Amino acid sequence: MLSSKLTGRNLWIAALVVPPIAFMSLFLVYPILSAFAYAFYEWRGLVRGDFIWFDNFYRVLFEFPFSERTINAFSHNIFVFFALMVLQNGVGFLLAYCLWRELWGARFHRVAVFLPVVLSTVIVGLLWKLFLHPLFGAVNVSLRAMGLGFLAQPWLGQDSTALMAIIVANAWHMVGFPTLVFLAGMQRIPSEILDAVRMETESEWVKMSKIVWPLVAPSATVVFTLLFVGAFNWFELPYVMGGIDGSPHGATDVLGLYFYRTAFGSMSASAENFGPGSALAVLIFLIIAIVSSVITIRLRKREIQL
Amino acid sequence: MARLSLRGIKKSFKAVDVLHGIDLEVNDRELIVFVGPSGCGKSTLLRLIAGLDPITEGEFWLNDRLMNQIAPSRRGIAMVFQSYALYPHMNVYENMAFGARLMGLDKAEVEARIAEAARMLRLEPLLERKPRELSGGQRQRVAIGRALVRKPQLLLLDEPLSNLDAALRSEVRLEIARLHREIGGTTIYVTHDQVEAMTLADRIVVINAGRIEQFGTPRELYETPANTFVANFIGSPRMAMLEVERQGERLVAPGIGEVAPDRLPQGTEKDILLGVRPDGMTLTPGADGTGFAASVVYTEYLGDSAFVYVSMAGGPPISVRCGPETHLSPDMPVRIHVLPGKAHYFSRSTGQRLAI
Repeated sequence: MLSSKLTGRNLWIAALVVPPIAFMSLFLVYPILSAFAYAFYEWRGLVRGDFIWFDNFYRVLFEFPFSERTINAFSHNIFVFFALMVLQNGVGFLLAYCLWRELWGARFHRVAVFLPVVLSTVIVGLLWKLFLHPLFGAVNVSLRAMGLGFLAQPWLGQDSTALMAIIVANAWHMVGFPTLVFLAGMQRIPSEILDAVRMETESEWVKMSKIVWPLVAPSATVVFTLLFVGAFNWFELPYVMGGIDGSPHGATDVLGLYFYRTAFGSMSASAENFGPGSALAVLIFLIIAIVSSVITIRLRKREIQL
Repeated sequence: MARLSLRGIKKSFKAVDVLHGIDLEVNDRELIVFVGPSGCGKSTLLRLIAGLDPITEGEFWLNDRLMNQIAPSRRGIAMVFQSYALYPHMNVYENMAFGARLMGLDKAEVEARIAEAARMLRLEPLLERKPRELSGGQRQRVAIGRALVRKPQLLLLDEPLSNLDAALRSEVRLEIARLHREIGGTTIYVTHDQVEAMTLADRIVVINAGRIEQFGTPRELYETPANTFVANFIGSPRMAMLEVERQGERLVAPGIGEVAPDRLPQGTEKDILLGVRPDGMTLTPGADGTGFAASVVYTEYLGDSAFVYVSMAGGPPISVRCGPETHLSPDMPVRIHVLPGKAHYFSRSTGQRLAI
């Protein structure tokens, strides 16, 4: 039975719980629900028209030119996810392993690896835009200085390299996070287990792949899930480095940028198109919610009690 | 076949010297126990033999092969860890197969060895289980099985019973003794428990503060302890120690009394420590008579016998083994007598045993 008495303790609890719930409802639940609702209406500018069932979704998914752009952006998000899985999480794991084995300068590198994580994404984007500048960017200047001038590219200016260049910038920015999580996981492995492995093999590869990785895998759950969410919400970095249109020629277009353009308008999409924009937002939300739940549930099952 | 030779082994961690020159020769098929108080360096010595820590100075030979620079996995040594250190993500079978496969054995051989170890350790019904689904004793057997599957020349056991409850401990102890008889390999066993050491060992190495105090069979250690440390460490309850002065044929403890033992130490040293185990003394009630004067502190009744703790001139309590019918109330004065052939003598200045 719920007590109707508002005693001092209950009052305190209410006073502490109500404001955050109100805040969450107003700024999180309400916008999500309204975006859901908007997606089912026809919009003329910011004026709401008729209820049109799934027309907006149909347009976004199957009607030219929306469908083509949706598929293009969606495939880029998938590519970003897998590329970052290798570049960010894979490298993060290797870095964590090196830091954990206390290779030379581990103390300095532990700080150095994590430092970029605290930088603002906008700053990282600008920094890498400068690095990648075709004429006086640090990357091409270094390549030329090493006599590898033929490798110098207009990295952000051609569609074969633009997306990958932004992915590298993202990996550089965020690699400290998986490193930190993996390092914490490695430090939790009991030292006697590591001694036991040393009694059986001297191969660093066997130790890493057969013992350390499986025991660290539980920490990978959170890293993988967050990477997936991040890859499908990707916005700031491609916005700063590639622009709102995903230039060149949509080579760096992703769902976040495309949604923003469609909903709020831009050079290429001209006026705001609220209905399809909301439909895109709902689709992005659903993809992230469903896939990340599946990842979490599947990976949780493999978690190991030390 | 495994003969082990440690020559002048020293180990320092930065500025701290942990082992100060260990010399030891172990024969094939022996079960050797390293025993000593915690922090004495016995586990460190075991880790040096395993190769888990580098030897600072000295040589370790296994079968005429210098081992100092050889990786742990190539020494032909297997180790059972105190916490068992089973791989938590592998089941029992995989735990045992992991090392065997890494040795490059073919599949049939791996299976045969695991089947044999599982039979010996009664692990057959557990092969599919993960370590977390096993009890402490079962984990212990898996850890031993994992070591045996590799057919090591030398088996190292680091305090293998310390994580088990008392009842299981004596059971596993018997198990280890049986396994050693059955397999017959050279085994080194580390413990801080002198009862484990006495019951299991062919020979015991008593280590204290990074030095070997004595190396010998359990009987040698009990009957002729080399110094006061070994005398105190081996045997329970402890040996009683009394400072006495030699006056001709008599040993006099000022203010306590005197005895005239059947055997006296060689040499002329006057200041002597007289050591007697609880079963080497008798006790007569009353303040008068020969022997040492003491007063009863309390009595431990054990059914088949009783240990009477007495104090001499306010000194620390010493125990005397008596018959179960003994009834002595606290503070009662008694006289202590040393039985023939039961006295040990040590130098008061060096603590070393004085030959009789």
